[in-house]
Amino acid sequence: MTASANPQPQFLFDRRAWRLHRARAQRTGAVDFLHHEVNDRLLDRLDVIARAFPTALDLGARDLALAHALVERPGTNRVVAAEPAICHATPLPAVAADPELVPFRDACFDLVVSSLALHWVADLPGTLVQLRHILKPDGLLLAAMLGGQTLVELRTALFEAELAEEGGVSPRVSPTTELADAAALLQRAGFAMPVADSETITVTYPGLSALLRDLRGMGETNALAARRRGSLRRATLARAAALYADRFGNAEGRIPATFEIVFLTGWAPHPAQPQPRPGPRRRIDQQAR
Amino acid sequence: MEGFAEIDPKLLEILVCPLTKAPLRYDREAHELISDEARLAYPIRDGIPIMLVDEARALRDDETPAKRLPSP
Repeated sequence: MTASANPQPQFLFDRRAWRLHRARAQRTGAVDFLHHEVNDRLLDRLDVIARAFPTALDLGARDLALAHALVERPGTNRVVAAEPAICHATPLPAVAADPELVPFRDACFDLVVSSLALHWVADLPGTLVQLRHILKPDGLLLAAMLGGQTLVELRTALFEAELAEEGGVSPRVSPTTELADAAALLQRAGFAMPVADSETITVTYPGLSALLRDLRGMGETNALAARRRGSLRRATLARAAALYADRFGNAEGRIPATFEIVFLTGWAPHPAQPQPRPGPRRRIDQQAR
Repeated sequence: MEGFAEIDPKLLEILVCPLTKAPLRYDREAHELISDEARLAYPIRDGIPIMLVDEARALRDDETPAKRLPSP
C-alpha cells in the first residue's frame, strides 16, 4: 500500500457514524420539520435575488426535497444532489459526497446551496475554500447551518446532570461556528460580499425524551469522534429531564428547544461586482504605539 | 439492471478526486472512478458515484493507468 492511499488524519467527527445517523433518519421516516422550514427560508432568500442560476449543487441533500424545489425554479435547469448518505432514488444527478472533501472540478456551478449540513464539517474554512473554487465567477453560495445557540437548554441540562450523576462530563455536543466569526470565514475563503446572519427557531416538546427522539429522527445525534459509546445512563437521563423542565419548562409543562440557524451568503469574485471604494489608507505606525 | 445503471455523462465531466482534485478515470467494466494520484478507486452504485474516501478501494501496486504510455 502506498502512503497516499486512504489517509485518515485525526478527525473531529466520526464520518461513518454521521452517515449512519443520516441514513437511519432517512430510512425511518425522517423528522424533517426543521429541515423543511430551513429549506423554505433558503428558497425565500433566493427569491429576492434577481438572478438566474442555471446549474446548482445541493450539498447535503438529504431527502432531496430542496434539490427538487430548486430544479422547479425558473432559471435553474440542472441541479446536482450531493449527500453523504444517499438513500433515495432520484432522477436528478446524484453523488455520495462529504462536504469536508468536495469532489467537483473548479468553476462548474452557478449556485451552491446547503441546508443544515455544514455544522458537521470539522474544517469549515477548508470547506468554504473548496466551495468557492467549484463556483463559477459571480456564483453564489447560500448555506444554512446550526449555530452556537442551538440546543443551549439541552446542553446545560445534560452537562449538569452528567456532572451530578457521574462526576464528569463527556463530549456530547459539536463545536459550532459563532455568528461573529462566520462572515470573516467567508471573506477569508475568498468570497465577495460575505454576509452571515442568524434566525432562531424555537420548538416546544412534552419532554426530553421526545426531543431526543426527534434529534435522532433528524440524524443530528452525537457523531463526535471522542464521544462516549453507548446510551446515556438512565439516572443521568432522568436527572437531565428534571433539570431541563425545572429550568426551562413553560407554564403548559412543555420544554423549549432552541435552534439557531446561521445563514451564510457569499459570491465567487467577479470583476463586474461592486468593489469596495479605495478609501484613505489608515497608516498604522508601529513606532507610535 | 440494479447496480449497473449508467452514470450521467454530464456528471462524469464535473467529478474530480475529492482528495487531490485531479480528474478521474472511468472504468466502465469495474464501475469505478479511478484516481491515479491518490491510488483510489471510487465505486459507482446504481449509477451513483460514491465519492467518499473511506468507501474507496485502494489500488493494488500492479494497477497502473491504462492510458500511461512509455515515453518515447
